[in-house]
Amino acid sequence: MKRITFSIGGVHPQDAKFAKDRPIEDLPLPKTLFVSMAQHLGAPAKPVVAVGDHVLTGQVIAEPGGFISAFVHSPATGTVKSIAPRADLAGRPVPHIEIEVDAEEQWAPGIDTTPDLITAIPEDRQMMLDRIKACGVVGLGGATFPTHVKLNPAPGSPAAEALLINGSECEPFLTSDYRLMLESPREIIVGAAIMQKILGGPRCYICIEDNKPEAIRVMRATLAELGYGNMVVQPLMKKYPQGGEKQLTQAVMRREVGSGALPISVGAVVQNVTTAFAVYEAVQKNKPLLTNILTITGDCLPVEAQHNYRFRIGMPFSYIVSYAGGIPEKAAKIVSGGPMMGRAIANLEASTVKGSSAILYLSESTTARWTETACIRCGRCSEACPMGLEPFLLNRLYKAGLTDELEKNAVQDCIECGCCLYSCPAGIPLLDNVRQAKLQVMGIMRARAAAAKAAAEAAAAKAAETPKQ
Amino acid sequence: MSSTLVWTIVILAGLGLALALLLYLVAQKFKVWEDPRVEKVEAELPGANCGGCGYAGCHDFAVTSCAASDLSKHYCPVGGDPVMQKVAAILGYEVEKKAPMVAVLRCNGSCEVRPRTNTFQGAQSCRHKAWLYAGDTGCAFGCLGCGDCVQECKFGALSMDPVTGLPVVDESKCTACGACVKACPRQLIELRAKGPRGIREYVACRNTDRGPVARKACSNACIGCGLCLKACEHDAITVENNLAYIDFTKCKLCRKCEAACPTGAIHGVNFPKPLVK
Amino acid sequence: MAESYIVSGNPHWHSPVSTRRLMLDVIIALCPAVIVSFLYYGWGEILVMAESILFCVLLEWAITKFMLKKASTIGDLSAVVTGILLAMNLPCSIPWWIVLIGAVIAIGVAKMSFGGIGQNIFNPAITGRVFLLISFPAQMTTWPVPVGFISVPDGFTGATLLEQVKLLGAREADMLVNLQTLFANIGGSAGELSAIALLAGWLYLVIRKVIKPWITLTIFATVAGIAAIFHGINPELYTGALFNLAAGGLILGACFMATDYVTSPMTTWGGVVYGFGIGFIVMMIRYFGSYPEGMSFAILLMNMAVPLINRAFHQKKYGRK
Repeated sequence: MKRITFSIGGVHPQDAKFAKDRPIEDLPLPKTLFVSMAQHLGAPAKPVVAVGDHVLTGQVIAEPGGFISAFVHSPATGTVKSIAPRADLAGRPVPHIEIEVDAEEQWAPGIDTTPDLITAIPEDRQMMLDRIKACGVVGLGGATFPTHVKLNPAPGSPAAEALLINGSECEPFLTSDYRLMLESPREIIVGAAIMQKILGGPRCYICIEDNKPEAIRVMRATLAELGYGNMVVQPLMKKYPQGGEKQLTQAVMRREVGSGALPISVGAVVQNVTTAFAVYEAVQKNKPLLTNILTITGDCLPVEAQHNYRFRIGMPFSYIVSYAGGIPEKAAKIVSGGPMMGRAIANLEASTVKGSSAILYLSESTTARWTETACIRCGRCSEACPMGLEPFLLNRLYKAGLTDELEKNAVQDCIECGCCLYSCPAGIPLLDNVRQAKLQVMGIMRARAAAAKAAAEAAAAKAAETPKQ
Repeated sequence: MSSTLVWTIVILAGLGLALALLLYLVAQKFKVWEDPRVEKVEAELPGANCGGCGYAGCHDFAVTSCAASDLSKHYCPVGGDPVMQKVAAILGYEVEKKAPMVAVLRCNGSCEVRPRTNTFQGAQSCRHKAWLYAGDTGCAFGCLGCGDCVQECKFGALSMDPVTGLPVVDESKCTACGACVKACPRQLIELRAKGPRGIREYVACRNTDRGPVARKACSNACIGCGLCLKACEHDAITVENNLAYIDFTKCKLCRKCEAACPTGAIHGVNFPKPLVK
Repeated sequence: MAESYIVSGNPHWHSPVSTRRLMLDVIIALCPAVIVSFLYYGWGEILVMAESILFCVLLEWAITKFMLKKASTIGDLSAVVTGILLAMNLPCSIPWWIVLIGAVIAIGVAKMSFGGIGQNIFNPAITGRVFLLISFPAQMTTWPVPVGFISVPDGFTGATLLEQVKLLGAREADMLVNLQTLFANIGGSAGELSAIALLAGWLYLVIRKVIKPWITLTIFATVAGIAAIFHGINPELYTGALFNLAAGGLILGACFMATDYVTSPMTTWGGVVYGFGIGFIVMMIRYFGSYPEGMSFAILLMNMAVPLINRAFHQKKYGRK
């Protein structure tokens, strides 16, 4: 098959998938779990339990706080000790439910906890969507967008022509998706088939970068074994950020998603392999999203100490870190996620959330930001930008406070992938500034849209009044 | 030779005259009528174009004030009352007197009292840092120390103190234009009445954490203990969300709150004598 | 956390390519040509090179420290590159004080007065060379008799290939280009001497992805194209494509000076326009101008157009027209 990838920009960081041969292990439960109410994109969830309540594993403990929001379930059996703000990994207070874990685990009724594979896909589309929503499934590729919303495009949007199952795992170091593809390929493919059915049967591509030949082989073999139609494994040439929705859509479908639009506008829906797994568990097993897989890795961690863990949501990072043997001496920065888009952990006591994918230890020499020197106009940042932006220019415009120019130069299209800062030979903190510029411009655009909407409504109200006079 | 010289002078002079005439005619044709008072008002204004008044520079202030029916929406914080009196005289309006204001930093978490809990790297910008996380100390409310306010100040009234890591306001240069207030992502700068002879009293903290948490992060933090509230005889202090606030319109500068404060979060400045506890 | 870990925005690591690394690559790429000229002219060449580098680096250090009062920027090695490029444009018999004047113009005027690296409009080394060429035409075009370790083609000393055009006529001059002259030219500065050594260096830069090949290739194509047309019309008057490619500072200019990041366009298509402009101007000067060589002027003229070119050509943006 032709080797494909996205066409604009991108960088080739070192692979660093050191933990790729470490099988997934289950982490034992700690004494206490802290479940965050803000684990997904959109409004925080609202707790529906009270302090002192006894909860079962998989029981709903919080319900969506808006249209774009998600259910949260108890990841363990135990007693609610407190519902209070607790610092997240950035040190900011977020409401958490504290659960003291019982010695004995008891699952909530109606959940199938057997390991049996169910390949027959239900016919009822609405039932499947309801289950995905009720099980609190969110996109596990990084953005944690509620999956039921994404699988149920707003009326009027084009029909889905392609379902892209994202197994590219383009972030260096991370191996959780890879391990899941090796260890649970059947569940992923059934999950993909379920989403395919919900979307009305578009062609399904399971997209895997060619630095993971084993995953490609296993997924192909499993696909042949299960025999779902209209589904292929699509190898991709390794390049970061392949896993970005817009990049993956362009790589596979050769269509570009417009500025501010979603992939569905060109007929594509992108879902991560881990999300496909969660969808399988939700629909076929009625099992809520309680676990995810997390890689413990880093450049200063010996390979023997690297692991892929299946963790329960709400386990504090500090618990996982000490279970895995503590922080390596040389670590200068601890990151939740990959080195390109992960978030630096300022508070190790913070608890894991649905979208946590790695604990990454980086040494001083790898991670320290360089001293900023003058821009030499080499153009490497614009070459690297997968959105075709000119970060050096945006940086300059931001410093001059020219928001109109920033908008003209499409700063709002930035996907914050980090390629610009990664490739700048002068060590200029391009993304730090471009992101602030983007937030500023998006604020202005939103205010303008709101004002235009208000004006239109006022005009409509006036027009409605006029004939009466 | 001489005729060449003469011709050169004649041609150049003629050209100059013709072009001058053209420029004059064009200027006449495209002349825009402007209220003659605008120029006079603008002449009185400081000309800093800081935008502290809420208008896009001094010219815009002059134009809008001439068009307005009174001066209720126009006040130049930089020029203060003297300038506003002159503007009012030109326009024939009344103007309300306002107490002179000054920018005050409501954080006193200097490096030595507020230990670092992590090392920040990246763009030296408070806005970026505030977006990124709670900050490199245990206090999620205090000064981030990257000096966005200093950069925004057009009057050179702010500077970073390298010892404390906090910005310092130069009262003699501060015009209370409010640019720093907008620049601070943590809303730490407040415009307060300058006070008689510059004497004023304020709570230099915005930490709303519970007392023990706040104190652990910064030994100068307001812990919301309420001792100042009890000490105040003028009903000028309120304590909300574990944080005290002094209303400068009610404060009589008696310094009793300052004496009562166990952490030193209340600051009195420009008092002639040091506080006796 | 007890210990103080670093917190920053993403990304959390960096590609190993730094400004210093890029400049080091350029220095490495220039080495073959320097070695050939050493073999040709002997220690005199090394002396000029050393003087030039020393003056450039010292000047940059002094200006940042005493005039701009900023942190010194000599660590990025860009002053070394300017020094080498300047020396490659000078005859090795040139007195040291002319080298110093060249360095003052290159670093002091062309680079630091604009604010240092990244801010300059004109390529510093070329600005220095052009200033010297206009101020000291005799010293700048007097080529010493080679004293080095390579045997000199009989009968030709002291004149560059391009000067031979005026001496011998176009047809005779064309005949001078052969394998030997491509390796070590019959005369000229270090930068004009060896086409093969310079191209090897350029190839190194392209393979290391330090520069994109498009600007250089466009210049070559334009020069070759224009020369082919004119040569086809009248071979007695106009020299041919190969001669024009090999002669003078064209290869040095096209490979190392026109591709300077700071003073060249950022986009590929911008680079093509820029390269075409240089190729066109250099051929017009060579055929119709009073100077035998026009590469420096061509690059300086096109440097001026770079801000406009950058404005006209932008990266293709994703999802936008």
